[in-house]
Amino acid sequence: MLKCGMTGGQVKVFGKAIQTLSRVSDDLWLDPSEKGLALRSVNSCHSTYGYILFSSLFFQQYQWSPSATMNLNCKLAIKSILPIFRCLNYLERNVEKCKIVTRSDKCRVVIQFFCRHGIKRTHNVYFQDSQPLKILFEKSVCANILMIKPRLLSEAIALLTSNQEEITFSVTPGSFCLKSSNGESLDLSSSVYSEMSFGPEEFDFFQVGLDTEVTFCFRELKGILTFSEVMHAPISIYFDFPGKPVVLSIDDMLLEANFILATLADQPSRVSSPQSLCFSQVQRRSDPTQSNAQVGKSQASQTPESISRAAPKRLFPKEPLDSSSATETKRVSTNQDNISEVPESVVSDMEEGPGLSCLRKFSCMFFGAVSSEQQEHAGHPLDSLATASDSEEDASG
Amino acid sequence: MRFRARITSKSVLELFIQVSGTVTKLAKVCVLRVCPDRLCFCPTGLPGEARLWGEVKRGVFHHFCMEGVSEEFNEIYLELMSEHLARAVKNAGSASSLKLQLTNKLRPCLTVVVELPSCPGHTRAMVHDLPVKVLPRRWWKECTEPRVWASDVSVYLPSLKTLKNMVERMANVGDRVLVEANLNGKMNLSVETDVVTIKSYFKNLGNPPKAVTGATQGEDPENMVQVRVDNRKLLLFFEGQQINPTVALCNILSNTLLHLVLVHDGVSLQYFIPAS
Repeated sequence: MLKCGMTGGQVKVFGKAIQTLSRVSDDLWLDPSEKGLALRSVNSCHSTYGYILFSSLFFQQYQWSPSATMNLNCKLAIKSILPIFRCLNYLERNVEKCKIVTRSDKCRVVIQFFCRHGIKRTHNVYFQDSQPLKILFEKSVCANILMIKPRLLSEAIALLTSNQEEITFSVTPGSFCLKSSNGESLDLSSSVYSEMSFGPEEFDFFQVGLDTEVTFCFRELKGILTFSEVMHAPISIYFDFPGKPVVLSIDDMLLEANFILATLADQPSRVSSPQSLCFSQVQRRSDPTQSNAQVGKSQASQTPESISRAAPKRLFPKEPLDSSSATETKRVSTNQDNISEVPESVVSDMEEGPGLSCLRKFSCMFFGAVSSEQQEHAGHPLDSLATASDSEEDASG
Repeated sequence: MRFRARITSKSVLELFIQVSGTVTKLAKVCVLRVCPDRLCFCPTGLPGEARLWGEVKRGVFHHFCMEGVSEEFNEIYLELMSEHLARAVKNAGSASSLKLQLTNKLRPCLTVVVELPSCPGHTRAMVHDLPVKVLPRRWWKECTEPRVWASDVSVYLPSLKTLKNMVERMANVGDRVLVEANLNGKMNLSVETDVVTIKSYFKNLGNPPKAVTGATQGEDPENMVQVRVDNRKLLLFFEGQQINPTVALCNILSNTLLHLVLVHDGVSLQYFIPAS
């Protein structure tokens, strides 16, 4: 059972977080733990994952007492929760205290606003019992880490012209370049190509270990930058080679926001076959629920196998190369969004030792098949950025 | 073929943004005609045979150099999407400079470079490559400067903002607005339906020197010359004008044509609306 209390000012930030995640998808997981309250969201084609963790210190009062299940398993429809946190400026001024209480027996979240003049507003929001998708990611091992004030990037993005879907970050040790997508066709109506360069001196932190270009969804970037500006915190960008997801992160003392966006891979990956997917699901279901990191890892390692046509039956990759990452942005939404039915995810906060790294060499939460062409990238241990501890990869479509 | 031009003056930059904004409101496709002494905007495909013509004289550019198709035909005609240009320059209001250059990056492009001040001491450049089509000479006759007919009356316009407000309100009432003016500096705008007529009277506007008009000596200056035009077209034009130009006048050819002329600092915009 979750019980937490916030002031009006905290409500504004909380509401902003919900608004930012509403851009990602129509559903939101409320995932409390001892560390704090996490909000998670993943879009239908699994190319964007948003995760905002409010530490217990953020709240005026925070109490989490886990019941029988480890997790709350609370999935809310954005449509039901977003209107509650509308008019944030108004809420900030008028709300003296906000209480959020969950009742898992009744599948209900009760949000109460104690406003000025003795007014009390109560919202009962029903939730779906659904396991949250938890992603583990190792930000610090990325070759390229940049930190910049969001305003600079927002200004640049405002100047980009075309109705583009994607944006490209191109880095070298000496510069950072923002590019719009390249028009393919030769006629006049193809989109305008725009680019803008920044020097390293404009960043708060600029580490480029790999000259690279990554392309990802533009729309999400705008929302994240807005949130970063509201938080008055710089935005950090972690990325590597194309295909590996980029992580946009905002770190404040009291909260931590991370958005993992799939990037376009250089080569097309093979599409996973339905047969192997079914197999993998069956495999997983037979495993008992666990919060055991070890088992979680073995589970996780099944995943690349399951989507590779080569060897669906192996549990562990014989060679690291087999589980190399090949993420691909799939824009088609999946028709089998069975998130709620895929059994438990495993959250492990423990740092993995190098020995287990061969089991976690993929970042294929963003589904792609395992591509042998990406082998050169798999050479480094711990090069996987994001690992689904819950195997959602059936959504590769 | 070469073209490179740069604007550094803030006021010219704003005018340039305004012209490209107006062009994009009225037409999807625009031909940029690069001449030795000026840059012309010639949007094509305006509905109902209306014509828009914009000119930016060479003198207002900080830097302007061009080399046409050949010595004999020393011009370049570039066809592009109006929206591309308008969007590329839209946020350049605070730029320190705007550069236009004809380039070839896999295909012919008009490269627009907007230079913005970033942290003190640095400038940041936003580069846009607008796809263009270089028009062959046989298509040049489609984009000639519109001929200015000798008009029956010519009068200076009142404040554009006022005009816009009037036309906006009239647009709610009827489709067409009647514009009339006389040589005594009077101008009327009116809209009429079965149940109501709304008329605005402007006076003391002044008339441009007689030489501009084709009016003969014997005519009564109080005589109103009128033309009825589609008010949506009029409104689209006025919506784009943010800055009050140095010279704003209209020429009316009785029951045939309304010709609006806005001139500011070497940048001019002319709009020809046929009677409807």
